[in-house]
Amino acid sequence: MATLTLRDLVKTYDKTEVLHGISLTVADGEFVVFVGPSGCGKSTTLRMIAGLEEVTGGTIDIGGRVVNNLEPKDRDIAMVFQNYAIYPHMSVRKNIGFGLRTAKLSRADKEKRLEEVAAILDMTDLLDRKPNQLSGGQRQRVAIGRAMVRDPAVFLFDEPLSNLDAQLRTQMRLEIKKLHQKVGNTIVFVTHDQVEAMTMADRIVIMKDGHIQQVGTPSEVYHTPANIFVARFIGAPSMNMLPAMASHGTVRLDTGTEIAMPGGADGAVTLGVRPDDLGVVAGVPLTRGRVTVREPLGPETLIYVDTGAGGEVIAKADGRTPPEVGAEVTLCADPANLHLFDPASGQALR
Amino acid sequence: MYRNLTIKQKQIVWAWAFLAIPVLFYGVIRFYPTGNAILISFQNWNLLGTRSWAGFDNYVKLWNDPVFWKVFANTFIYLLLGTPISLVISFVIAYHLDQLRFMHGFLRMLYFLPFMTSAVAMAWVWRWFYQPVPTGLFNNLLASVGIGQISFLNSTTNALPAVLAPAVWAGLGFQIIIFMAGLRAIPKSYYEAAKIDGVGWWTVLWEITLPLLKPTIVFIVVFSSIGFLRIFDHVFNMTTNNPGGPLNATKPLVLMIYDTAFTGFDMGYAAAQTVVLFVVLLTVSLLQLRILRDK
Repeated sequence: MATLTLRDLVKTYDKTEVLHGISLTVADGEFVVFVGPSGCGKSTTLRMIAGLEEVTGGTIDIGGRVVNNLEPKDRDIAMVFQNYAIYPHMSVRKNIGFGLRTAKLSRADKEKRLEEVAAILDMTDLLDRKPNQLSGGQRQRVAIGRAMVRDPAVFLFDEPLSNLDAQLRTQMRLEIKKLHQKVGNTIVFVTHDQVEAMTMADRIVIMKDGHIQQVGTPSEVYHTPANIFVARFIGAPSMNMLPAMASHGTVRLDTGTEIAMPGGADGAVTLGVRPDDLGVVAGVPLTRGRVTVREPLGPETLIYVDTGAGGEVIAKADGRTPPEVGAEVTLCADPANLHLFDPASGQALR
Repeated sequence: MYRNLTIKQKQIVWAWAFLAIPVLFYGVIRFYPTGNAILISFQNWNLLGTRSWAGFDNYVKLWNDPVFWKVFANTFIYLLLGTPISLVISFVIAYHLDQLRFMHGFLRMLYFLPFMTSAVAMAWVWRWFYQPVPTGLFNNLLASVGIGQISFLNSTTNALPAVLAPAVWAGLGFQIIIFMAGLRAIPKSYYEAAKIDGVGWWTVLWEITLPLLKPTIVFIVVFSSIGFLRIFDHVFNMTTNNPGGPLNATKPLVLMIYDTAFTGFDMGYAAAQTVVLFVVLLTVSLLQLRILRDK
């Protein structure tokens, strides 16, 4: 059990800087998810924590100890890889036991530890199988087992669910979360899937181009995004962005609608509204346009509305009686659910 | 008629149309001579005269021929020395070359070059290396550091290893390339996981790299074994004044077949030796595949 602290972490390959000073503190027992588009530096950060990549600048501190120059095995971490990295020629037992190779435990203690882990992961009866006799989810559990058996201070997960099909991914997501609640270790989890991040994390770290965009609980990053990137990255479908003008506490949309909004912004602003908050029934009118496409999801239907100058906007309509394609609709939202951004810097205006 | 066939049947027709050429080729160029050789092994024939039936005479003669047993032993010495030595050397080189970035391509080319070189040219160059002072490179080197002369090709004990050395060297390039391809195919994350688990490089080598290379190793063992069992050009060119000498010390089975057929013109006897070689190759390959096969 330990805290993990990153201070001004920098990584350069040749002369290209890919991480530009990442600072973050992960509390003991916290489940932190790094999320971002590919190439944002999230995996590099994780591999630096693991000791698989050299640190160019800054420090990594695990349990109060700077580990920059320690070998991976001495850092008190364990890692689960995207392709699981379980050895095809070894049985499950040997694969999990591999993590205990260098542990200073008696043979009987190792065996006991292995059985414990197998029991927690519910795969005692799979111990003598070879990996090719296992399903994708079971392989995933072997990989987790091999990490768990070492009882590390920090667990590192590098996109461990991306090789699984959608249904299994949802199931493993839940299992990993339950596992965390049971064993309580610190976890750093990397993914490009914002749903995974939202559902699993205690705190989410959103990254882009080697910078942290925002750190916060799932609720914080969803409801008070720090900038346009976070606002559009978290939540599906993405937040709609409408051009607007603000002056003296009033926001005036290009479509002519005026909404009273507290906040000191003046001049051009970007008004963000989530499709979930944008409907055809309640709230103040924001924009109007013609329905171009409908996507029925069952309980609700997503409608794509061409608003002319404002571009295409996604809104939510009732699942049973959605407006017809071609129908003229007025889209409304509760002013409390609107977000304002500076169009130049992308930062949220509050 | 073709129109009325199903898609599957049409595919079969086309497959056979394309297969007809190689099938014909193999029939005429490979299988017919093989069958003929087996037939000739039961006959007496001097290449020009008429064939006469000999029954098992050629095989009985072979069994009682001390030269054949000497040659048979030589062939297996080539195999039992050549295959493991070349396997270990090529793996060690490939393993280190794989981790090297600096001049990687150039070094790989250097190792591959002997494989592309004509065996005859190479054998003659090595033959020159083995000469006594003042011509031979090796003996000159030995002399310059004050070590006595070694007669490489004229000694019954040294000649076989001396002939084997360039043969091993010539095959290395190919084996290194195959090993490197095998090493590249092992996912990096296996090594990274082992690094996090903190196991030493020896454990990684023995428990991860080598087991995962098994298909590559099987391939190389089978191919190099067949190569060493059929060794001919190196031996023939390095011992031309007395092929397979001194005193048959270097003579492999293929050279004996060549001698019997084209110096002695005893085609029946040579064919019997060929059949024996064929059986040996088949047995050794099947045994290796069986032993090294994945359970």
